[in-house]
Amino acid sequence: MADMTADPLGTELGACARGDRQALKRIFDAEAGRLVAIAQRIVKRRDLAEEVVQDGFIAIWTKAHQYAPDRGSARGWIHAIIRNRALNMLRDGSREDLLSEDAIQSLQEADQPESVLTAWAALDRTSRLRSCLEGLGEQKRKSILMAYVGGYSHGEIAGRLSLPLGTTKSWIRRGLASLRECMA
Amino acid sequence: MIDLTKPDAVADDYVLGLLEPADMKTVEAELERNVALRRAVAQSRERFLPLDMTAEPAEVSHDLWTRIERDLQQRVPSEQTTEVEPDIANDNRSIQNEGFWRVTSFAGLAASLVLAVALGWNLTRTAEPLVVAVLVNETGEVQAVVEDFGTERAVVRLLADVSVPGDRTMQVWTLPSKETGPVSMGLLPQARSARLVPPSLPAPKDAQLYEITLEPAGGSPTGRPTGPILAKGFAKVTR
Repeated sequence: MADMTADPLGTELGACARGDRQALKRIFDAEAGRLVAIAQRIVKRRDLAEEVVQDGFIAIWTKAHQYAPDRGSARGWIHAIIRNRALNMLRDGSREDLLSEDAIQSLQEADQPESVLTAWAALDRTSRLRSCLEGLGEQKRKSILMAYVGGYSHGEIAGRLSLPLGTTKSWIRRGLASLRECMA
Repeated sequence: MIDLTKPDAVADDYVLGLLEPADMKTVEAELERNVALRRAVAQSRERFLPLDMTAEPAEVSHDLWTRIERDLQQRVPSEQTTEVEPDIANDNRSIQNEGFWRVTSFAGLAASLVLAVALGWNLTRTAEPLVVAVLVNETGEVQAVVEDFGTERAVVRLLADVSVPGDRTMQVWTLPSKETGPVSMGLLPQARSARLVPPSLPAPKDAQLYEITLEPAGGSPTGRPTGPILAKGFAKVTR
């Protein structure tokens, strides 16, 4: 696992923990665009994704002192803050408000949403994650991608793939276990 | 519903966002003390990170940073708030002029005097600090008062002149708990009284330790105090 000195974002988080506002700005300048895009895959709308990132940066600032390399890379830690906030926004009961016309349309699409397909298409061909996901078979792979990339719940995935909920859950569980084994 | 004997499986469900809200909370609480789970979550995040990296960076609204800054600003009183030059510093100066410190060798007495002044002054303000800590040096001389308002606001008043070399800076710390270890509350780059925006921490408690150390310019490189202790003291809850 990388130590703090080898992880530039970790160094910036350390500076944030010491009250250096400029370090937060540097993280913003370098990462905000991607973070908005990651959030948007989950909450669908750009304005909501920016709201997620806005709140997320306050959380990054106030929690920076909790980051330590034993929590993984600083990037993983920052992305987790954004992803969790996006998922919370989806699931805190205000989901209906998020369903703009566009989102309703995309719910009616068959199978996988565009953003999930795009992420899969863009995933580095040489990456371990890609070859391991390829080895899973289509349904398991789709389910896992929909959960991680699009933030879909078990129920939503079952609905989109027209599978019983129990089957979906067990496919995802087995798929994740195979993935861990493959990437270990 | 979650089976903590299988941290890897729990970690994946957590990272993918597949847990029920109640289980999610359980995992978050567990992460604070369960090393195996923490490691499993870290590994799971790293496994899926390449998918995040496929996200094409969005064009961000030009005012997004301004909105974040405004939110941060609202968490601290702005510099323009109706703040009179604290009388406490003047009082201290006059006490020093009278050679008061030489007479008062009991740190406890000195501390309680300053504490009384600090509290009296506080009564005239609307926002109350949750705790006040009087920091003394090795020989028991009062060096500073820390007022911790919780919610990421604290004020440090230096009550003695400290000469700080150009390549050093004063850094303020607190010890919320032994488990957390010392946490930086911020730097005093100018070596003078300042408002700090500490990270969010549990509400400060009675007898919580505060200290100021001398660190390399820019702050401790390790995130923990490394330099000599200039002053330290324990908090008292304001009443």
